[in-house]
Amino acid sequence: MRKGMIAVALAVLASAAVVTAAVAKPSATATPAQVATCTNVSLGFLGPLTGPAGFLGQEQISWLKFGVQKYNKENGTRFALVEGDTQLKAPVALTVGRKLASNSKVLAVIGGSESQAVRVTGNLFERTSLANVSGSATAVDLTKGRPYRSFFRVVPNDGVQGPQILNFVSTNLKAKNVVVIDSQDDYSLPLASAITRGLRAKGVTVSRESVSADDTDFSSIVANVGSNVNVVVFATQVATAANTLSNQLREQGKRATVFGTDGAYSPSQFKPRNGHVSIFAPDLHFDPKAAKIIGEYRKFVKKDTSGAFGPATYQAGWVAMSAIRKACADGRTNRVEVTKLVRSSTTPSIIGAPTRFDAKGDLRGGGQFTIYRITNGKYSPVR
Amino acid sequence: MSETPETPEPQQPRIGVDEWVASAEERRRQGLGTRIEDAFGRTPPVVKLLALVIPFAVYPLFVDSEYLMQVGIDTLIFVLLALGLNVAVGWVGLLDLGFVAFFGLGAYLYAAVASEYAGRHWEAQFAIPLIAIAVAAVGFVVGLPSRRLVGDYLAIVTLFFLQLWLVILVNASFTRGPNGISDIYPLEFFGRQVTSLDGYFYVALIAFVLIISFLYLLNQSRTGRAWRAVREDELASELMTMPVNRLKLLAFAVGAGVAGIAGAIFAPVQGAVFPASFDLVLLITVYAMVVLGGAGNLLGVTVGAVLINASLEALRDANNASWLFFSVIVIALLMLVRPRWLPVAILAGTVAFGLVVHEVAEQLRPSLVEGATFGGTRIDELAEQWVLLPEGAIGPDGLPAGALARLAYLGLVAAVLGLTLVRSRLWRSIGVVPVLYLAACVWENLLLAQPAVARFVLIGAMLVALMAYRPQGLFGRQRVEIV
Amino acid sequence: MDWDKLVQLIVNGLTLGSVYALVALGFSMVYGILKLLNLAHGDVLMVGAFIGWGVLGWLGGAQDPSVAVWLLIVLMVLVAMVGCGFLGVAIERFAYRPLRRAPRIAPLISALGVSFFIQNSVLLLFGANFRSYEAIDLVDVEVGIHWGPLNVWILRVVVFASAAAMMIGLWILVTRTKLGKAMRATAFDREAAAMMGIDVDRVIVKTFFIGSALAGAAGVLVGLVFGQINHFMGFNYGLKGFTAAVVGGIGSIPGAMFGGLFIGLAEAFSVGYIEDFTRGRLGSAFSDLVVFLILVLFMLLRPQGIFGKPDVKKV
Repeated sequence: MRKGMIAVALAVLASAAVVTAAVAKPSATATPAQVATCTNVSLGFLGPLTGPAGFLGQEQISWLKFGVQKYNKENGTRFALVEGDTQLKAPVALTVGRKLASNSKVLAVIGGSESQAVRVTGNLFERTSLANVSGSATAVDLTKGRPYRSFFRVVPNDGVQGPQILNFVSTNLKAKNVVVIDSQDDYSLPLASAITRGLRAKGVTVSRESVSADDTDFSSIVANVGSNVNVVVFATQVATAANTLSNQLREQGKRATVFGTDGAYSPSQFKPRNGHVSIFAPDLHFDPKAAKIIGEYRKFVKKDTSGAFGPATYQAGWVAMSAIRKACADGRTNRVEVTKLVRSSTTPSIIGAPTRFDAKGDLRGGGQFTIYRITNGKYSPVR
Repeated sequence: MSETPETPEPQQPRIGVDEWVASAEERRRQGLGTRIEDAFGRTPPVVKLLALVIPFAVYPLFVDSEYLMQVGIDTLIFVLLALGLNVAVGWVGLLDLGFVAFFGLGAYLYAAVASEYAGRHWEAQFAIPLIAIAVAAVGFVVGLPSRRLVGDYLAIVTLFFLQLWLVILVNASFTRGPNGISDIYPLEFFGRQVTSLDGYFYVALIAFVLIISFLYLLNQSRTGRAWRAVREDELASELMTMPVNRLKLLAFAVGAGVAGIAGAIFAPVQGAVFPASFDLVLLITVYAMVVLGGAGNLLGVTVGAVLINASLEALRDANNASWLFFSVIVIALLMLVRPRWLPVAILAGTVAFGLVVHEVAEQLRPSLVEGATFGGTRIDELAEQWVLLPEGAIGPDGLPAGALARLAYLGLVAAVLGLTLVRSRLWRSIGVVPVLYLAACVWENLLLAQPAVARFVLIGAMLVALMAYRPQGLFGRQRVEIV
Repeated sequence: MDWDKLVQLIVNGLTLGSVYALVALGFSMVYGILKLLNLAHGDVLMVGAFIGWGVLGWLGGAQDPSVAVWLLIVLMVLVAMVGCGFLGVAIERFAYRPLRRAPRIAPLISALGVSFFIQNSVLLLFGANFRSYEAIDLVDVEVGIHWGPLNVWILRVVVFASAAAMMIGLWILVTRTKLGKAMRATAFDREAAAMMGIDVDRVIVKTFFIGSALAGAAGVLVGLVFGQINHFMGFNYGLKGFTAAVVGGIGSIPGAMFGGLFIGLAEAFSVGYIEDFTRGRLGSAFSDLVVFLILVLFMLLRPQGIFGKPDVKKV
């Protein structure tokens, strides 16, 4: 036992000495590198490429690759893409974010795709002035309070989605009795709460239910839905869950239809007989004016299974690349300059009005969600 | 008198010594591995500790990227987790499947005492010990069912506890649900805040030194011996008047306390805590570290944690993964197959076999070799000429686009399993060649397309193989259960 | 008293319960013979669900099946049963048999490894996206029994009926055939059975085959009724199935059946009534907690379950 004591004491002393030495050393942060020309520049992508939301991240990166290729062809640049897979996990997002930040060739990051990734990497990217432009992180708290000074998003946030949904439900659908279901994650809970509050303020009777994100059976929840309920608002990120819910509602003879939030958007998986869904950027597949770019995208991939997530990320990439190109042209190819240019940019957009940002990184003017009505599995935008 | 042939004088038998065992011992002692083990056993523990700590201590001096520092910190946290799990699983033989809940509890408790959300900022020299004690107390409570439950049932109860913990985390309002708690304040020791990654690395290193010393002393003490007795034969220990239930509870508590400390360091490094960070994948990863290193051996689990975390990082994306994959195969062959010329022959045979198959395929069905590799290393560039890379076997999203890749994967699993059934050494060595080639093809085609998933597949396979062939892991001691 | 809701909850509970019973049977049988908790059992169910999905796609998919609907369902279930049976046999042979003499903790860790391997393999081969059976297209959701407050989709009846049929078949197998006798003997005392000339290894293999086949069938039934499958679904069913086995009495076949239905009903009722019960404090999210509490209560107060016999340890 005595030898052990000596061992512990020595160990503590040794480590104390090392610590004092270390704390005195300046921290090693990645300094933004000076890249002479636009030939050695990369775009980073931070999003879930595998894991529960992997198919969404794959859609986003597919459109991003398409966008990078198109931009390079049209402008003679040679931008490359560095992928960062967050697997929808916060610690992984942080590690991968650091990896991107340490890569001196990366002058802008497209993402984080999920709001959680933005929360862990926001401060990190801000410290290195690395612009991160997201096409899908819609959580309200990302731009509330003291925002991350290098975070931007080309889509409206959930603060817009909630009121839009509840207005549509109470005004257009004239619902008097609504059930709101969340799926117990950081996306659905705030959205569900906001919608519940707003509907109750308008005098609508609202009851709340909750399912787990990987639940596949909603029969007992459906049994709780009264026969006088008009609409079930389901905040979920799993489109097949919304589909199962609407089927089970029909099975038990309830009149309520499902209104899915943007996580449920999927023309291939959410195909109720009657329902609605909202999405943060219009799905170009249903817009005749976007036929040209859809055609180009379809030539880029063999099979087009994309929905609305891809084009928004494409737009984010376009904003970033335009800013980088301008920085190169001005002779100041570094992260600080790129962030400044992104903040002051106006970029023509394929998903709506030209993209401009406000002081907090949101779309100037707030932006708008698009609502689709679904009849027999067919989607049609609601004007 | 006829001449009787001279018979050698029989050696006088030694008292209390079994001749056969003694001669076997002598032979064993000559081996290199045993000589190292003996020398290792003779060095004083302080020296061993320093030898372990010094590589960690100098790591930051050689590394200047934030990413690698983050990896280093994550590795140290994993080491702490492995040490904690080792107490219950390695020393007492209890299967604790709820272990990561203690880790999460430690992280959330830190967020509860040092974050903007909680509105306070306790200094770490108070916070961390208090958190350790609190989590240890919870560990004690979770261990309470173990008095009535056999090991298997205990596993399920602890697993349910983990589920319960996640449900509470996600739904209770005071934990901020799945949004987690962001804006966690950094560690503050006596008024000085730790703000740099290097600082956190050294904090984690100090915690490691303290904890491993504490556990070492605990193991050497009566408690450690009692734990080992309980693991070997619970009934006998109880008859020997050891307080078996109290010992089990103590093991749970100590393991939980260590996990709590790891969580308390994890939270400020991350800056935020989310419920989803503490899931089953993390649990099985820590188990893999403990099993690989050697359950019950402090040095073993440390090494296991470092090896596995480093491998996981290397396999994160396709840029470096192939180095790890192919070198592990080569090293495994060289280490496991005797005589020494056989692995070389096998490797040479595999390369030759592959080249032949590649040529034949190129002539007969060119589409089989026209694809491009996903990997970014020099090995992958070479492998493009060696393995079959069918065009379009994998879609742009990394998933198999048809049946070919899936069938190849299933075929590989079946082939490997089948190989273990072959009795004759000759046929096994011959059979290894096409199986290795198939493995390389599947790696280049399918596994490299999704390296993040592939690494977990490999961990699962490794865990099964370890338990079947070398349950004591790298450094553990072989245990024989007397039925 | 909301009769509609009650009736609906009973229907839901019985559907869920049938699935849990099938899973619990596999757990019980294996535990009875080997005293081993097969933690990978839930993943066998998941593989069964995917096999069924594969067969569905191969035969034209839910929109355009190339055979009659009833034949399609039968084929899916049979192929899944056979496939999962062999999977179970493989798991036993390679992950558990080498560890027969090892400390108790070893096969459990091996089971964790197997579970992890299977889940991630499926993830690798099929991706993380939920796959859907789209059984609605096979049999529309309004086809079924509509009688008063009862609104039951015909597929739910199919699930309950097939589960019941399989359980009756198993019961006959275990009580009236020679194999069943061998299984019971091996479960009672493995060494004595071996000395009586029973080939213990083969009995174990057959037990695993049957148990896993039942889980595979359960997987297909889950896919049919609940529509979506993904690589992680096995975990939940495994956990609930295990709870059902313990509650019913592990090692006992009628126990597993009863336990399954009990847990299914408990889950349905807890989701349906927990809010009323706790006056809105706890939402339906806490229904898992109820099942957990049931398990812990049984483990602490009556560890042998409802139908089991107390485990007496002879020194």
